[in-house]
Amino acid sequence: MKKFARMAYPYAIWAIVMIVLPMLMILFYAFSTQGNDVVQVRLTLDNFIYFLTEPVLLKVLATSFKIALITTVICVLIGYPAAYFMAKLGNKYQNLMMLLITLPTWINMLVRTYAWLGMLQSGGLFDTVLGYLGIGPKQMIGTEGAVIFVMVYNFLPFMILQIYSQLIKMDTSYLEAAADLGADRVQSFWRVTFPLSLPGVISGITLVFLPAASTFQISQLIGQGSVQLIGNVIENYFLTTGDWNKGSAISLIMAVIIIISMYLTKKADKESAGKRRAV
Amino acid sequence: MKKLFTVIGALSLLVLSGCSNTPSNSDSEYQGQTLKVFNWGEYIEPSVISDFEDQFGVTVVYETFLSNEAMYTKVQTGETYDVIVPSDYMIERMIQEDMLQELDLTKIPNIENLAEGVKNLPYDPDNTYSVPYFWGSVGIVYNKNNVDINDLENEGWAIFQDTDYAGRIYMYDSERDSFMIAFKSLGYSMNTSDENEIQDAYDWLVQINDTMSPAYVTDEVIDAMSSGQKDLAVVYSGDAVTILMENEEMAYYCPTEGTNLWSDAMVIPKNAQNPDLAHEFINFILSYDASYANSEYAGYASSNAEVLEELSEGEFAGNDAYIPRSNYDKDEVFVYNKELTAKLSELWVKVKAH
Repeated sequence: MKKFARMAYPYAIWAIVMIVLPMLMILFYAFSTQGNDVVQVRLTLDNFIYFLTEPVLLKVLATSFKIALITTVICVLIGYPAAYFMAKLGNKYQNLMMLLITLPTWINMLVRTYAWLGMLQSGGLFDTVLGYLGIGPKQMIGTEGAVIFVMVYNFLPFMILQIYSQLIKMDTSYLEAAADLGADRVQSFWRVTFPLSLPGVISGITLVFLPAASTFQISQLIGQGSVQLIGNVIENYFLTTGDWNKGSAISLIMAVIIIISMYLTKKADKESAGKRRAV
Repeated sequence: MKKLFTVIGALSLLVLSGCSNTPSNSDSEYQGQTLKVFNWGEYIEPSVISDFEDQFGVTVVYETFLSNEAMYTKVQTGETYDVIVPSDYMIERMIQEDMLQELDLTKIPNIENLAEGVKNLPYDPDNTYSVPYFWGSVGIVYNKNNVDINDLENEGWAIFQDTDYAGRIYMYDSERDSFMIAFKSLGYSMNTSDENEIQDAYDWLVQINDTMSPAYVTDEVIDAMSSGQKDLAVVYSGDAVTILMENEEMAYYCPTEGTNLWSDAMVIPKNAQNPDLAHEFINFILSYDASYANSEYAGYASSNAEVLEELSEGEFAGNDAYIPRSNYDKDEVFVYNKELTAKLSELWVKVKAH
């Protein structure tokens, strides 16, 4: 056993250098400020107070979570049926579907987002098609709708794969039992399949909501700077303003909110799992 | 913490230099050495780099940045470069913060060729620390078919507040240029630090954000205006040259309310690893051939007088954007002011998020 423990050392060192240290740096920056000539660094809560008393920035935070939430809901609504039917397919087709879904993720996300920029802008593919249909020309780039659309496109595979892997390992004898006991297909879906697939949905939500809430390239490219998310504000503080203290404080607030929401989802999952056992 | 960055930087440098083999067809004193250059994107004709490498038998590690601030942040975290090409106000800041070394002008004989427009610039009048690379101004690129030139002439910068053009404008995503426009439109100096004037400019920009649904872009504006995505854009003169070459529906206008005259210049940081080779590089860039190739490639006004004349009569003849307006008393050069920069930057985040 001890030997195995020793094998974890390289990972532990990696984790300390690449994860723990940067986190500590963010923590340090968030609670400090560049001092004057006499005092180099001063501990303070000012960075947090600044953010929490600035309506404009709070509005951006709210918008970010709103957009992330809408994206996640759409991903569940599209991803669940897709995963469900995939799980029902024969083995050969499952592999093909798997390939089709993961294929786009082989290409860098930034490149795919650039491709959407070309398709959504005026004179692009969508604009032209809408023009032929007599609906266009329509301004799509630079709107919240376009940002959500591209986010759903980018993050949907994560949702589908999570739900699918949960559904595929489900024991079909439960469904037979339900049928024996007189449940029709709708009933057995809602009372057997759906509750059993919930852990997949929950981890799918985690994988979609997190990047959606903190992205900055998608909103920068597709939102053309007129859809500002909290990720853009943080990027701005680090790269343009050069105020790492405020940027760190906002990152920290963001992290805390995300940790809390993850904790609540996990808790909801456990409760429903408890219920499943009770049934 | 800085040490950690330095170590990481040094390691990645090792990897980089280990990967590249130097062409060895020359026996210069710099044979096999490496030069690290940090420049703006789309600012150099690629063959200029390989010509330099061939001539001196060295390897150039060439990196690009998107804004002065991003460059500054990276240098602050411990990255070392031999030559950097910041803008005027950033050079001023780096001089103040003692980050640059004095140039040995005897090693840069090509400085003889400097254009009039980039001589005696206020931030470094004697070229003690810097030698100009490109220069220019900021203006408006507009679609001749969709924008009434009378509107432009009557409203100037305020055309970006004219709701007739709502949804059809590109703003430049930089606090410096956006506040410059606001200050100029309001008739203030772009270097003002008056609280009320700053508040006015902030309101001016918020009004654009709230009523015009502007897109905030940087380098993307070149492609976007070349393909005619929108009708009006705030554009650097050199980028305007490129757009006008690509799309003949577009024209360039520089408002009479004044604009920002800027210049980007080559500097050698204090912590440069190879200052001698850096001098050679600066001298090489100033030569007629390299200047010509770069200016023709990027569309920005050359710091070489001969090249400037040649290109304005040849390749860029009739292109209003190539040579910046000079000797106009409402045009100003940006002066570095630490508090003001921080404040505008803060306000700019708020404008975009409004």
